[in-house]
Amino acid sequence: MLAFELIVQGLIQGSIYALIAVGLTLVYGLLRILHIAHAALFTLGGYFGVLVTNATGSFGLAIVVAMVAVGGLGMLVYRFCYEPILARPPHVALIASIGLFIALEEVFRLVFGPYGISYTAPPLTATVVVASMNLKQAEIMVMAGVIVLIGGLAVLTRRTRVGIAWRATVTDPAMAQSFGVDVIKVRYLNFFIGSALAAAAGVMVALLNNLVEPTMGSVPSYKALAIIVLGGLGDVRGTLIAALALGVVESFGTIYLGTILDRDAIAFVFLIVVLMIRPQGLFGKT
Amino acid sequence: MKFSWSKLAVLAVTGALTGALTGALWGGAAQADTVKIGFNVPLTGFAAADGKSALTGAELAVEQANAEGGIDGKMIELLVYDDQASPKESVPIATKLATQDKVNIAISGSYSGATRAAAGVFQANGIPYIAAYAVHPGITRSGDFVFRTSFVGEVQGRAGAKLAGDILGKKRAVLITLKNDFGKSLAAGFKEAAGKFGVTIVAEYEYSIKDRQFGPIVSKVKADNPEVIYASGYFFTAGPLVSQLRAAGIEVPIIGQEGYDSQKFIEIAGAAAEGTIITTSLDRDSDQAETKAFIAAFEKKAGYKVDMVAASGHTAVMVAIAAMRQAGTTDRKAIRDAIAGLTLQASTGKISFNKLGEVRKNVQVQVVRDGNWRRHSVIDDPELLAPPTE
Amino acid sequence: MEYEITLMTLAGIAVIAALGLNLITGFCGQISLGHAAFYGAGAYGAAMLTTNGVSFWLALPAGALVAGALGLVVGLASLRVRHDFLAITTMGVGFLFIGVVRQQDALGGEMGIYAIPDPGLGRLGYMVLVVVLAGLVAAFSLYLKRSWMGFAFDAIADDEDTALMVGIDVARYKLAAFAMGTAIAGVAGVLYAHEIKYIGPDSFGFPESIAMLAMVAVGGIGSVGGVAFAAVVMTVLPHWLQVVAEYKLLLYGALLFAVMRFSPGGLAGLVRSWRTRAGGFRIAATGKVEP
Repeated sequence: MLAFELIVQGLIQGSIYALIAVGLTLVYGLLRILHIAHAALFTLGGYFGVLVTNATGSFGLAIVVAMVAVGGLGMLVYRFCYEPILARPPHVALIASIGLFIALEEVFRLVFGPYGISYTAPPLTATVVVASMNLKQAEIMVMAGVIVLIGGLAVLTRRTRVGIAWRATVTDPAMAQSFGVDVIKVRYLNFFIGSALAAAAGVMVALLNNLVEPTMGSVPSYKALAIIVLGGLGDVRGTLIAALALGVVESFGTIYLGTILDRDAIAFVFLIVVLMIRPQGLFGKT
Repeated sequence: MKFSWSKLAVLAVTGALTGALTGALWGGAAQADTVKIGFNVPLTGFAAADGKSALTGAELAVEQANAEGGIDGKMIELLVYDDQASPKESVPIATKLATQDKVNIAISGSYSGATRAAAGVFQANGIPYIAAYAVHPGITRSGDFVFRTSFVGEVQGRAGAKLAGDILGKKRAVLITLKNDFGKSLAAGFKEAAGKFGVTIVAEYEYSIKDRQFGPIVSKVKADNPEVIYASGYFFTAGPLVSQLRAAGIEVPIIGQEGYDSQKFIEIAGAAAEGTIITTSLDRDSDQAETKAFIAAFEKKAGYKVDMVAASGHTAVMVAIAAMRQAGTTDRKAIRDAIAGLTLQASTGKISFNKLGEVRKNVQVQVVRDGNWRRHSVIDDPELLAPPTE
Repeated sequence: MEYEITLMTLAGIAVIAALGLNLITGFCGQISLGHAAFYGAGAYGAAMLTTNGVSFWLALPAGALVAGALGLVVGLASLRVRHDFLAITTMGVGFLFIGVVRQQDALGGEMGIYAIPDPGLGRLGYMVLVVVLAGLVAAFSLYLKRSWMGFAFDAIADDEDTALMVGIDVARYKLAAFAMGTAIAGVAGVLYAHEIKYIGPDSFGFPESIAMLAMVAVGGIGSVGGVAFAAVVMTVLPHWLQVVAEYKLLLYGALLFAVMRFSPGGLAGLVRSWRTRAGGFRIAATGKVEP
């Protein structure tokens, strides 16, 4: 029974990881950038979620506002931060992204205060008993949300013209362009969707913890990188599975290895072992 | 390419010299006719929240003392530097405070690592240094010029064991330990005294300061079915932890410590915070004039409810001021001796120091009632609360 | 002067650490996001010795050896994974190092190691030692750059497969780069431990690795002078920025971003492009461009 609970808890955590990491892997797939500042957009999503909910009382509105606003900001980040340095060696974008991340965290602290903010009346706190396990509605919503958002993404990429253009651009940008795909538009769309997903994750984490701090993105900033590498860099399906797997590994690790290694170390042992066996990630192609 | 490196080396040296020069200029800018208290505190980065409270508490103490006429007619000046809670930053800052600003005394409003590293510098320069709330055991062991106005973790851990076994009468405990020097030393103290109060430890789980999601631990604790939970942490970890424990249907008492001691904890955990009991330094329902006056003045100045860190910052500066008034001189050795012999009624109660420089005071037990911290009880067993002496 | 001496000492230590990373990342093209682990290994190794009565002069090479040995092991990983996969693997090594150190009571666990003995050189003497060592590391880097090994590194950094094809023993050179670069980081770690006299797990975390990589990138990846200059400035900068107190870290992050955004070749790239403009006929190499 405990094992079942640990798996469910791991899946909840893994769902959060998935929402953050999918956006990151989308960016990587298209532009080969390790977009650390993605984690700052996740935090900003959390701030929007709490502020809009507290101001209007509507959690649904808060999610929409957070996703749209942060998605838009993601496009600006691409336009003003990454586009000018795309042709440079990969470390340039990496360090620029880190600088941006540090600066944004400090902006959050200066604007929203160092103590963090909370929902004054947190929604979805009622507990539901599922197979003798108490789950908050919010936790169920997180898992359902991941299925909806990522399912939607799958439909988008497989069934729509935009999605096909996007996949073509990922596979071969030059070829896609010669077939009339507007590569630049695809990139904007890519940043919008990735950032909006991160914002959704931010809103949900804010709800689970009832706390948004300026440093909320510090763990996702590096753990999401580990996840997209595990998933095979740029592979959405692989990232999704890697995120859920990592959530479950951490869940069991916390209980049975907690006094030997901390959560981060457990995650990275898993990563290193996988990479030594499969250097291209769990699902990457050689 | 061939010569660029040497040019850059020249640039580097010029840059360093410019830095040295500007440093010297700023150092010289401090006013001569004041009593100077140095203050290293994290104002940026991850520890900025505690830094802000500590600084506000310290500023309040200086304002209050200056309103009373300062020290022998001289105004008190607080020299504040941001150390980002990092030892790498705090060592140059301590050196600057000691050798350029030539402070009479210095206070740490920072975390353990930064404070431990700075303490060595102040000790070497013969400047009294008081740690407001850093818990690392090595701080006071830096030497005879270093003092601490907060409990070491072990003392508070022992108080926690008494609270669990003796005051609440709960015998089967689960420990949820924060993996840093604070959490580890609390757990050590709790385990040390547990037997004395008939408390058995069923299990112990550890978490990292970055964790906010405790699902796996909560599930396991529920299966362990303890009578009491002793969970170390800070308000930003304890808030989510307590609310997740309660949401899972765990009803047993939860004992925390001074790290919980902030209104923010109650904001985060909401209704789940009710009944949480902590060992801390600040008594909200105190009838002591000093404590009451501090709480009122702080909330007026800061605009938010008082917390333990603010009270600790205030107390440490008060100790410094009281010692300087008593010494009646700016001689640092005399100030050190005055601190060692001091007995002071401060915002965190009546305090004095042992020969290692560790504080002796009562442990205040507070409980969340109707969304506020209120008095639960006081632990005043000098033997149990005896800080380390060497 | 003591304050300036302290800053110079810390700056010198940063120069050594950054030049070590520059050897791996700049010369040999292997991005490492876990350099602080080796810095930490050197610091812990030496602090364990000196707190148990061993002489500082023995602890200094011992720290380098410990870090270099660990570096060799991680170097083996670099033979297995490449590019961004390697970057994230080294990041993992950093977290693993911290995670293990945290739980070792022998290494002080969460309490770290404190009361590390003074090497007894005096403040000024210690600064001179650090600066001399920094100079030696810089000289060694410059020598290496012009040596056959330097050319091999360059070829590997350019394109590993081509390097292999023209008969360069890629594996051996990669291992050499990791072993040397991390041993140098170990030296920096020893010097750090005996300057600050307190080390704990948090002294060598991910932010520290990032700070070192930032020094290399801002200085101009591969440029010895540029990296050394950036290491000095970025160590001293937070102290200059004390005047802006609350905005310090914001400014630091913004500057980091701005340098990469507007001068992707780092400061060395900036200097090069000035010289090209001034000299007219010099050909500028503004950094390698990978597809």
